[in-house]
Order: sequence, then structure tokens, then C-alpha cells
Amino acid sequence: MMKLEAIIQPSRFESVKDALREAGIEGMTVTEVRGHGRQKGHTEVYRGREYTVDLLPKIKLEMVLSDKAVNLVVDTILKTAKTGKIGDGKIFLTRVDDAIRIRNEERGESAL
Amino acid sequence: MAGPATPLSVLVAQCEDERARIRKNFEHGSSAKATLLALCELADRSLQQVFKDALKLHDSSTEGLGLLALGGYGRRMLFPFSDLDILFLFANDKSEEEFRPLISEFSRTMWDLGFRVSSAGRTIDECKRIEEDNAEFHLALLDRRFLDGDAALFEKLDQKILPPSERQARPFLFAQLHRLTKERLGRYGDTIFHLEPNVKEAPGGLRDYQAAYWLRQIMGDRKDLRGSSAAEEQLAADAVEFVSSIRCFLHYSNARNDNALTYELQAGAAEKSLGMRGGAQRSAAEWMRIYFRHARTLNRQLLRYMDQKMAVPASLRERFFSAARSVTKTAPPMTGDFAVRGGQIEVLNQQALSDRTVMYSMFVEAARTGTPLSREAERSISYVMTHSELPVLNQAIQWETLKEILAGDFPGVALRPMHRLGLLMEILPEFRAIDSLVVRDFYHRYTVDEHSLRTIEHLQELADPPDERGVSFAPLWKTLNRRDLLIFSLLLHDTGKGVPTDNHVQGSLESLDTAARRLGLSAEEEAEVHFLIEQHLAMSATVQRRDIFDPSIVSGFAESVGTLERLQRLTLLTYADIHAVNPEALTPWKAEMLWQLFVATSNHFSRTLDRNRLHASDEKSMLEQVLAVAKNAKQSDVERFLEGFPRRYLAVHSAAEVARHFALYQKLSAAPLQTELTPERHGFSLTLLTADRPALFSTISGVLAAWGMNIIKADAFANAAGVVLDTFHFVDLHRTLELNPTESERFVKSLHDVLQNKAALEPLLQSRDTASRARPPKVAIQTRLSFDDSASAHSTLLEVIVQDRPGLLYDMGSALARLACNIEVALIDTEGQKAIDVFYLTSQGSKLTAQKQDLLREVLQGTLG
Repeated sequence: MMKLEAIIQPSRFESVKDALREAGIEGMTVTEVRGHGRQKGHTEVYRGREYTVDLLPKIKLEMVLSDKAVNLVVDTILKTAKTGKIGDGKIFLTRVDDAIRIRNEERGESAL
Repeated sequence: MAGPATPLSVLVAQCEDERARIRKNFEHGSSAKATLLALCELADRSLQQVFKDALKLHDSSTEGLGLLALGGYGRRMLFPFSDLDILFLFANDKSEEEFRPLISEFSRTMWDLGFRVSSAGRTIDECKRIEEDNAEFHLALLDRRFLDGDAALFEKLDQKILPPSERQARPFLFAQLHRLTKERLGRYGDTIFHLEPNVKEAPGGLRDYQAAYWLRQIMGDRKDLRGSSAAEEQLAADAVEFVSSIRCFLHYSNARNDNALTYELQAGAAEKSLGMRGGAQRSAAEWMRIYFRHARTLNRQLLRYMDQKMAVPASLRERFFSAARSVTKTAPPMTGDFAVRGGQIEVLNQQALSDRTVMYSMFVEAARTGTPLSREAERSISYVMTHSELPVLNQAIQWETLKEILAGDFPGVALRPMHRLGLLMEILPEFRAIDSLVVRDFYHRYTVDEHSLRTIEHLQELADPPDERGVSFAPLWKTLNRRDLLIFSLLLHDTGKGVPTDNHVQGSLESLDTAARRLGLSAEEEAEVHFLIEQHLAMSATVQRRDIFDPSIVSGFAESVGTLERLQRLTLLTYADIHAVNPEALTPWKAEMLWQLFVATSNHFSRTLDRNRLHASDEKSMLEQVLAVAKNAKQSDVERFLEGFPRRYLAVHSAAEVARHFALYQKLSAAPLQTELTPERHGFSLTLLTADRPALFSTISGVLAAWGMNIIKADAFANAAGVVLDTFHFVDLHRTLELNPTESERFVKSLHDVLQNKAALEPLLQSRDTASRARPPKVAIQTRLSFDDSASAHSTLLEVIVQDRPGLLYDMGSALARLACNIEVALIDTEGQKAIDVFYLTSQGSKLTAQKQDLLREVLQGTLG
């Protein structure tokens, strides 16, 4: 099993979610986050006040996937979240030792 | 002691059979009241049997031990899976020690019989003391009922011990009950209108009834207690029966003490016509409306009792702030029919309420000042509203009156009681479609009407934002023109959810159509509200689904919105709409995204103003509208007048206003200066047409300053033929024009004289009152000047942020004129004590050179400080 964390543009979230659903991937945790990598923020001035957006709004998706689903999900996110501009985000994958469904204590991939 | 104890297995079987019988009776139509009583009698019988058996087993007498029922069980309202609240009353410490094994045995057996015993033990001496950290116990003790044991001991407690200590503890109990109730109501957002309400704890639930019942007991001997009428008592009894039926149904359905009326169980209850006395089966939504009606009765009854008396004498701090509030408010109105007393609007003349204009005046006052109607005032109105046989005068509300309510600083303070009393639905029947309407939705927490009212209350809060999310949006609310249109849009924006249509926005627009026609909105007003309703999801969708940092997205969004004024309204509407979905819906993240889109779009408007010029022949629809108003006007003349104005001119002026401007334009051939002075809600507006000339803008500003007028907003536009159309909105600081109507003529004459060089401006300026200039500002604004050469093809944009003061615009305009800078377009605005001015400047027909910009910066900084 792998844990996937994807940081994507908020504007791509709906498309990514729909594409994942179409691909048969249902479960995910979504968090509104702020941050920046190479895409730096910018400053807007409104009525004499500077609004510096140095941490840009992003969406973080978290999923734990069976090994065989990982490539499908990564490809789907790449296809739908990519705009080609700086700030499209990143995908991180880490190995997961176990998963437990609290309701019935199932373990491993069957708990996903 | 004789005879063996009853075997446990026999008792268990008896209890199970009896519980099954009670449930069956309930499911076959037995009332909730009868069900609760039957459950209570079963508990009483079982308890007495178990207690008797325990006494036998321990070879003990009842002397020194009494068993009392408390709380709901004490009141004989025991729900199927509720706890059995029992007090073990001991004569003294010794008896407590002696009976401990018996009580353990007793409690275990009761649990084995399926009763969830929740017990407390006190000696009779302990009952004398008020436990300040355990108000709940003392409140439950108000419902005490003798069950078994030492009757004399109970009598001593009930007749001798508790009455004096309870009398003494009344203020404490009252205050604690207030506190506990307020905390509980607050946990549920102080509203009954939850999509999946908890019928025990939420406002309108059985705890409201219980709290009202206790308040009544605590205040029992007060002489000034305003009692309920027989009709109100009956309504409350019906409500208790209805909500109790639901709670029984929930307990039986969930097989536990779970009181959440979920969507699934709403459907089940509606299917069984639960709580209904016959009649046709209703849909879940219709059945929920009946639930909310009963919940409203229980909640209103509780709130009335909570209003009856101050919990404790006000502290010095509270009295001080109360006094400070009363002196800072404007004098309370005394129409003879109602008055402000103790911070609430009270009815003085009940009979006057038959005249709806009196009623509406009370709500205008509430919306204007934020003073709520007292519960008794609401009760009086409710009486009139529910007695159709009483004569009604002036029932139809005028749009002008409704506008006053909607445009107030506190529209929610008026609209919520208007809805509670049915008055809102009387004047806006379209709102009836969403009254108490449950629409199943994963995100929304409240019924549709509650959501709509909350949107308005969230805006109202922006006067003093309760948290960080609202801080940026607060100035938008405070400086917004025509709030009435925004609030009207919010009232109607979801009414389409109550009509059968695939697209609720379309349904809401149909509601607007009928409401606008009935109330007599102007075409421009209706168009504005139409836009806001039609686009009420657009900004949220843009924030969530588009890259708001992409200039092309911002530009496209700006184009769809049209004007800065609309953008402000749409931003506030979106802020309020998301906020009212549920308390967590407007995350700081979303609020910031929304604000970023607003700022980017607002800046886009300022920076593109000079770029988008009108080509009159392309504006067919507007031309038709103007020609319809301006009778006998030739289309070619109107086209010549409009040609070359910035597009904003059409966006911020109605066809009627354009026609009026055109009429002034036509008179220019007879007199080269045309003016129109119009009183407005908070001041005056001055429209002026003339041929462009150097220093025109600063000269007009100078005359206004000399007369003590403070310019709040201004637009300066020029068409292709060099005709300047300036509009100034100003406040008459010394009320010169307001108090002396003849001064208006003198003021206009003075303006004409100066502009036509018949009088000099300087002597006028020297004589102006400098008192306001000397007044220190409340907030220090740092001066900021910025130039932008990229915003326009042929002008340089100058944005000035500076401390506002009378005469400021004249000083700036004069500095620009001295340096031969021509104002192509100007947008003047203020926000509190901050002036925000945007000028599109040219010098000798071109953009300002870098040297000119440096010089202008230096001169302006010297002038402005």
C-alpha cells in the first residue's frame, strides 16, 4: 500500500475529483492549505493597503492506495491537474505498513 | 418481613412484556403523554418491587431512607430510553452508611431490569446547602416526587427544608438556568431551524419546555409575571405532545437515547403521520414544517420566560455600559404608539397595531438603530396577525418603506422578528415557499429561510466583525450604496428552492419577477437584484474552480460583473451566502480567496477605466431605453452625447439618469454650464455639464469646499467632443442647504459665478470655516501616491490614498492644474477618513513623462503632507 499526497491548484480540484471518481477511486481526504514551492507569491495593492500573498492557496489530497491502483491515480492526477505553469503542485508517495478499518478491524488492503 | 423476593427472571420478563405493550400502543396511535406516563408507572412499579425485595433481603426497614424521582422522571415524562434520575435521601450520615449495601443491590437489579439508573445520594442536611457548582442538581430537585421509603423524611424535605432554601436560592437558580440555557441555545446557533434537529437539546426541543417550566416555578410568586393566555397554553401543550411523540419514535427507532431527527427518520415519521391527528399523509418537508411550527412555540415560550426578569441585579460594569449605550444612541422615538424602553421597542398603543404603517415603523426603527422588539411587543403583533377578524389598515407595504428596512444598518434585527411573526411572508409571499423548508444537502445545516436570514445577519455583523474572516469585507459593507438591493437579493436568492424547478436560480428569478412587479421596483432596481440572484453562485464558483491569479480569468470575471458597485454587492453576497451554510463553511482560506478575487477585479476596474470607451451606435439597447424616456430626442444627438464616455458611465447610470443628462446636454447651446442639484439619503449630488477647460475639476471642488461641503464620491468623465460630465456626491457638513432651502439657489449661483469668471474663488475659500480642518483625525492614514503607465493607452493613472479632509480635492486638483495636468477621468471615493482617488491624467495630450511624475509627486506630497 502507498500513501499519496498531492498538492494541487484549487482551480483543478473539481476536475481531479471527477476524474478520480470516473477511474473508480472514491476515498480521499481533502484539506485547504497554503504554501509555496518555486511559485512565489505576489502583492496586490487595494486602497492603499498592500496584500501580500506569499503563501498561495492550494488543495492537498491524501489517499492510501493499493499498490496496483497507484499508477492509475498518479496518471489521472497528472493528466487533470497539469496546466503547464509554475504552481501546478506536486505528488508525494510513501509506503504504508498497514491499514485498519475501525468499524470491523479489517486490516491491510481490504480495509481501504 | 415475610415471603421470598420475586425472582429476577420473573421481573425481567414482566418488564419486557410491559415495555413491548407500551411500544405497541404507541405505534398504534397512543399519545406521547399516555406513553410517557405508562413508562413512568412501569418504572415506579418496578422500582417499588425491587426496593421491597432489597429491604427483605437486607432485613431492613425504610426508616431513614427515601427514594425520590427527579427531573423528567419526577415530572412523569419518562422516554423509552431515558435515564431514571433518582435521589436517595438519607436522614443522616449514619443511615447513608447503613443503606449503602442495599442501594448497591437495588441499583444493580434495576439495571438488570433494563432501567438506566442515574442516581445521587444526599443527607437531608446536605439538601439545605446550595451547591454552586451543581445547579443542574438543584434544578432537577424542583421536579422531586416521592417514590418509596421513609415518607416522613420526604415530607420534612419537601415541606420544611427545601422551600426556604429554594426561595433564598431563586436568584442563583434563575441566573444559572439562564446561563445553562444560553450556552445550550448557543451551541445550536440560537435557531430552531436545523435540517436534522436534536428534538431534546436544540432550540425548540423538549429542553426548552423543561427550562420554561423551571423558570415558571422559580418565578412562581412574582406579582409582575405576565402569564400566558389559554390559547398560548394550549399551543404549548400541543407542541409538547408533538415533540414528545417524535422523541419516543426516535428512541424506539434507534433503540437508544438518540434524539437526532435525521433525514431518514423524518421520512419515516412523515410516512406514519407521526403526531398528526388524522388528515392526509404529508411529505417529509411538509411534516417538518409542522415540526418547526411546534418547535417555534416551545422556543418562543422559553424566550418569553427568559425575558421576564433580570437573572441577577446588573453589575456596576453592566450598568455603566448600559448607560453608555443609551446615551450614544439617538433619542428613542416616541410616536405615541411605540417607544424604546430598556433597550427594546415596546408597544404603547395596542390598538394602533391594526394600522400596518405603525407596525412597519417599528421595524424601520429596529433596522435603523438595531433596537430589538421586546418579546411582549412581538406578542402583541402576533395577536393582531393571528386574528384575521380584526380590521387591518394600510396592509400593503410601500417599496419605499420596505427599502428603509432593508437599507438600515441592522436589517436582520427587523427581518427576523418579521419572519417569526408571519409579517415577512405577508409582504413577500414568495418567501413562503422556503418557510421552514428542509432541503437535504450535505453542507447546509439550516432550513432555507434560516439560511437566508443568516446571510443578512452575517452582513450586519460586519459593522464590527466578530472574527478575522470579516475584517477585510467590513469596509465594503460600511460604504456600500443601496444596501436595500443587496438585502432584497439575499431574501429572494434561494426562494427557488421552494418551487418545483430543476434550477433553483431560475425559480428565484421568477419570485423576483412577481415581487418586483407587486412592490413597484424600478426597472434599474429590478435589473440589479436580478443580476445578483442570477450570479449568486458565480463568484464562489470562480474562486473554487478558476485560477484567480490568472489576469485573463480576472478580466473575464470583471467583464461578467460590469461595475465596481456590482462587484462590491456580489462579493458581500458571496461572503454572506457561504458563511450562512454552516458555521465552518467560510474557512479563513475561502474568505482569503474571495477577498483576493475581489481585490484583483476591483483593481482591474480602476486600471481599465480609460481603456473601455463607448461607441454609442453599438449600445442599441441603452439607446432605445434612453430614447423611450427622452421624448422627441433624435437618436443621432443621443449618440453624439454618449460617444467616447468611459463604459463605466453607462454602467453606473440608469437610462432615466442618462436621459436627464442628455436634457442638460441639449441646453448647453443656450447656456454653457448646466447643473443639477439633488438631495440624497446622506447628502446631495451635483451633476454638472460643460465644455472641458483647465482646472475645471479643482474649481468645482473649491466651490464645494468653500461652502463647507465634504465630497464623498465623484466621477469626472468627458465624451469625444470634450463635454465634461462631473458628478459629485457630498455631505453638507454644516447642514446649510438642509436647514435653509433658499441657500440651494445661492449655492448653485455661486458655482455658476465662479465657473463663468463672474466671481473669484479665493475670497470664498478664505471665508470658509476652518473648524473642521483643525479637528484631529481619528485614524491616521499614511499618504500614498502611485503612478501606472501601463493601465491606459494614452493616460497615466495616478492613485492617491490620503487622509480625507474638507477641501482636499480642491488642493489636489489645484496642484494638478498648476502642473498643466489634464484630468481625463477621475474616480473619487472615501472610506471612513481615507480618501481613495484615481485620476487618469494627460499633459499636452500625452501620458505624463517620468520627470513630470516626479515633479507631481513632490508637489502633491508637499500639498497633502
